[in-house]
Amino acid sequence: MEIKNLTKKFGDFIAVDHMSLTIQEGEIFGLLGSNGAGKSTTINMISGLLKNNGGEIYILGKNIATHSKFAKMNIGIVPQDLAIYEDMTAYENVRFFAGLYGLRGTELRVRAEEALEFVGLSDKQKSYPKNFSGGMKRRLNIACAIAHRPKLIIMDEPTVGIDPQSRNYILNSVRKLNEMGCTIIYTSHYMEEVEELCTRIAIVDHGKVIAEGTKEQLTAIITDTKEIWVEVKTCEHIDEKSLKEIKGVNTVTIEENIIKIISQAEINNLNQIIQFFINHGLEIRSLQEQAPNLETVFLTLTGRNLRD
Amino acid sequence: MNIFNIAIMEFKRTIRDHRTLLFMLAFPIVLMLILGTALSNVFDNTIKIDKIHVLYTEKNDSHISSAFHTFIKDVKRENMYFSNTSASIDGKRAVKQDEYDAYVEITDQGIQFYGSERESMKSSIVEGMLTAFTDRYNLISNIAKEKPNKVQTVMASSGGSYVKETSLQADRAPGSMDYYAMAMTTMIAMYSAISASFLIRSERIRNTAIRLAVAPIRKMEIFLGKILGSIAINFVCILIVMAFSQFAFGANWGSNPGMVILILFTEVFLAVSFGLGISYMIKSDQGTRTIIMIILQLASFFGGAYFKIGNAQGFLKLIIDLSPINWAREALTKMIYNNDLTAALQTAALNVGIALVFLIAAITAFRKREGL
Ligand SMILES: Nc1ncnc2c1ncn2[C@@H]1O[C@H](COP(=O)(O)OP(=O)(O)O)[C@@H](O)[C@H]1O
Ligand SMILES: [Mg+2]
Repeated sequence: MEIKNLTKKFGDFIAVDHMSLTIQEGEIFGLLGSNGAGKSTTINMISGLLKNNGGEIYILGKNIATHSKFAKMNIGIVPQDLAIYEDMTAYENVRFFAGLYGLRGTELRVRAEEALEFVGLSDKQKSYPKNFSGGMKRRLNIACAIAHRPKLIIMDEPTVGIDPQSRNYILNSVRKLNEMGCTIIYTSHYMEEVEELCTRIAIVDHGKVIAEGTKEQLTAIITDTKEIWVEVKTCEHIDEKSLKEIKGVNTVTIEENIIKIISQAEINNLNQIIQFFINHGLEIRSLQEQAPNLETVFLTLTGRNLRD
Repeated sequence: MNIFNIAIMEFKRTIRDHRTLLFMLAFPIVLMLILGTALSNVFDNTIKIDKIHVLYTEKNDSHISSAFHTFIKDVKRENMYFSNTSASIDGKRAVKQDEYDAYVEITDQGIQFYGSERESMKSSIVEGMLTAFTDRYNLISNIAKEKPNKVQTVMASSGGSYVKETSLQADRAPGSMDYYAMAMTTMIAMYSAISASFLIRSERIRNTAIRLAVAPIRKMEIFLGKILGSIAINFVCILIVMAFSQFAFGANWGSNPGMVILILFTEVFLAVSFGLGISYMIKSDQGTRTIIMIILQLASFFGGAYFKIGNAQGFLKLIIDLSPINWAREALTKMIYNNDLTAALQTAALNVGIALVFLIAAITAFRKREGL
């Protein structure tokens, strides 16, 4: 799949801004970005739900503007919000949606059953989703997207708001689907998921791709910074401003009683930092230097936290 | 095929929506039962009529004379007695003094009729029979009444002997159960608008609109499938209500089931298109719901769903005439009790016409929209 200069405006607001990406067959491609970054909007344009204001989208080499039906046949969408009928059984849901892809008769039945089995809902075929747990609904949401065996599966934050067990189940299904030959686009604002799952990742912010590559390539961007976490007893009165004035410190973020400091790697300022806490009467409980991760990358590139 | 699948799905899901179903079925049936029973005396047409005495004179030897005598013989069976009078008696005065219920003069020009004011029921029966008689013989009838407007006589001249024809007189208006069967059925048909206003909207709310929109089918297939499903399930509900009123309450639906079904079907079509159209004209959920409820309530009230509004004039009549429930019920009444098929066809055409306006508005808005 390839997108070139993809742009979407909502009135004056530019939700997706000249975005370009190439995704190879067989990849699990992650779109990482905070809420409102434009991930869903991008996905909605790829799936044909929204019309783009500029740029092109190619699926399996064909422009979707001219080969919309071909594109739609080959895409399976797992929408960010649950998209199932609560008043139809799990089986009826999958069967109905798969039927829209031209499947009929025995084939339709078998595919629907397979999809349900794949997400572990075989024994719930005849149950109504209104009685399902959040995780089960999410899994049904996936089954509805895969019964027609799309080559490209797009999952928009499929793990939002569910229990860890269901979450693991879903992450494993994503891997399994990938092993079965599906290309997957996976959006999330959970850095850990993307880091764990994806072969390649694009970091999206304000509708733009600000970095792209494997996890290693992305973290390599930040050889010039280091991240120091200082855990204190209480951090009610932290003077962030003077902390930032310490030579080399780029950003300071506070999460509960951990102060995360990103600083230039080549400047040794650990002494000053410790001195700062002592001077302000803040009791240090622990202090560690973090290995760079995607969170750090995001923070370095945008100056904001992923979950902001 | 997709249209069909989507329609079936809509149908199935509505059947599972017990609340809506209960409303569409139980509500009209219960109201029918309550209103039809409670207000039965308002509609009572089965007044027992005893012997009717009519005085008549024949001027000259008119060419209808022999036919008229056959008529007189026939109507005896209906408890109607004609007595010939000599010219010396003033027939009109005899009627005024209540000696007779009506006075009839047969001349070459036709028949002149004077009905009793006091015995208006009896005199109007005589009038009706005479009208049928004259119609049948293609005579110029010149019926003058002492008080015109008193009774509106139904002029029907087709089929059967005139006697049989006019003896149906007492049944020629709906009884209370007949009335409320029609009123409630036509009212609940309009209530299809409520579910229709959520037809596409509910897909958006549930996000299933996304799946429908990303599937390799045309948008219009979704639209048509949903509408078909909605019309089908609502129509089935209406038919059940109608059949129930006929078999359980003995409501009279006439001898033209095809036309009854046509009127009800076009009314459901109108209601569904109306609901859908409004849902595209008004942005908010709450707004759509409110507007539709208000219109439905007004249409029900002024359309005579709860009680019959007689002799309305001016503005009130205008409002009444604007209610689709009124059109449909009037058309049904005319057809069932008057055999007037023209009114039924006109109403069906009107329903379809207005439905198309709303539908085209909805389709235009639907096509412009991104997604569903
Ligand atoms: N239909 C819409 N109309 C107007 N603005 C929208 C619409 N959909 C999304 N947006 C805006 O576009 C931006 C990107 O949204 P979205 O793609 O949903 O972000 P993400 O999925 O990355 O959280 C947000 O600021 C959002 O408010
Ligand atoms: Mg999103």
